[in-house]
This record gives sequence, C-alpha cells and structure tokens, in this order.
Amino acid sequence: MKNPSTAWQRLVAAARQAPIPSDDIAPYGFSTRVAALAMAAIERPSLQSSLNRFSWRALGLSLMLMIVSILANYSSVTTSVDSEQDAGLDPVEEILTLT
Amino acid sequence: MSDDVETAFDLVACLERVRANDQAAARELVEHLHPLVLRIVRAHLPRRVAEEDLTQEVFMKVFTRLGQFQGSVPFPHWVSRIAVTTCIDHLRAQKRRPEFRWADLSENEADVLDAVLTSENDVSAGDALAARELVGKLLDQLKPDDRLVIQMLDLEQKTLIEISQLTGWSTTLIKVRAFRARRKLQKLFEQLQRKERS
Repeated sequence: MKNPSTAWQRLVAAARQAPIPSDDIAPYGFSTRVAALAMAAIERPSLQSSLNRFSWRALGLSLMLMIVSILANYSSVTTSVDSEQDAGLDPVEEILTLT
Repeated sequence: MSDDVETAFDLVACLERVRANDQAAARELVEHLHPLVLRIVRAHLPRRVAEEDLTQEVFMKVFTRLGQFQGSVPFPHWVSRIAVTTCIDHLRAQKRRPEFRWADLSENEADVLDAVLTSENDVSAGDALAARELVGKLLDQLKPDDRLVIQMLDLEQKTLIEISQLTGWSTTLIKVRAFRARRKLQKLFEQLQRKERS
C-alpha cells in the first residue's frame, strides 16, 4: 500500500496549481450597501450599550437624591438628637433626687 | 488592485473618516479591503454559505468593532483575523458532511483520487481544478479547527507563526491540530483505497 500522506501531499500540490479566481473586485453596489448598513449599525446603539448608559445615569441620579435628602433633613435630624439628649434624665441623678 | 492604487490609498485618513461616520469613506474602505477579505472567505467558505453574505458579515464586524482597533497590529492583519474567526464560526456551525464516498465524486475528481492512490506520478496540471474540488471535499470530513489548520499549512503554505497570528492559537495547538487532521486524512485514504479494491 502506498503511503497515504504522500498521496495527500501530491493531491494538495496539484490543488495548489488550480488558478485562483481573479474577480476579486467588489460586485456592483456591494460596497455602498455594506457601508450604509455599517453606518446604520454604528449609529444605532446596541441594547447593552443603552443599558450601560442608563445604569450610569440611574446611579448618578440616586447619588444626587441621596445628597439632597441628607442636606434637606440634616438640621431636623440633629435637632431631634439634641432634644432627645436634653430630655433624657441621668438615672443616677434621678435616684438621688428621689432619695 | 495595482500597487499604485495600493500605495495611494491613505488607510489612516480613511479610518479617521469612517470613525466620524463618513459613509463615503466606509465605501472606500470596503473596496480597498474586499480582495483581502474575499481571498480568506473563498479559502474557508463553508458549504451552503454564499461568499457574498459571508464577506458582508466580515465587513459588518470590522465596522462595528472598529473602536476596538488599537493599532498594535497592521489594520489588514486585524481584518484578516476577523475574517478567519468568522469563517471558523460558520464552519463550526455547519453539520459534519456524511461519509465520504466514491459515488459522490465527479468523474474528474474520481480520476484524480484514483491517480494519487494508485500512482506515484504527480497529478497533471489539467486536473488541478478537480484536485482542488477533491481537497475541499476531503477537508469537509475534518473538524472545523483541524480543517482550517491543514488548509492553511498544506494548501496556502502558511507558516505556523502566520497561522498563529490569524487564529490566535498557539503554535503547539496548531501542530496538534495538524497532526490530528493528517491522521484523519490518512485513515480516510486507507478506507478509500480498500473500497476501491472491493
């Protein structure tokens, strides 16, 4: 039996001699169509990029709301803490007062 | 495309214009790269996939990924890699061809196969087209990745480094795939030879 790899090599060597088609110029209208499709695809944002952009916007908005709410309620929060401290009696002092 | 046209084409400026959504520049880029992409697509065209459709798909990928091109490799290499990986994806998606049979070959292809199996003489140049068709049918019997490697090595006579650059695979992996492909082809030739005798 002949060496099959040699058979393959001879077959491939013959195949390499086959002429390569020279009609490698783009068919009429091909480049225009592809360019138009490509530009449309570039201009149309993908779902992933849209979600990405919206998530960043949502994060920024929530941070801004958090800061505004803290600033708006800061004075009332500190006042209520102070009043609780003022109203609260010292238990030792209370016992001494009773005795 | 002539050398004059090749050198006259300002790729960098064209890419800048494409990035600025210039459709005319995109058209020029397609025309400039078409021979390169078509050559790769034709070499690795899966069955039942139209070469124009596959070429268009490659170009669409090139345009949508243009922002990822950093310039670390020449632009044509980057495009070639996209073309090769697109072809691999299509080859992987296609179903394996059924068993290779003598009956499926044309008369010319059967003659060429008979000649390489039974004679040590080279196949005549007149049978080159039939030989190429036959090679394509034999390669269809291989796994897509193995097929790609053996085609680039034996048919296109690319080096391991060139294949590595185009596919992103290591040279060791390429050697393994080439070994596996040649072993499979060897078995195939043995089967064909037995069938011919019977």
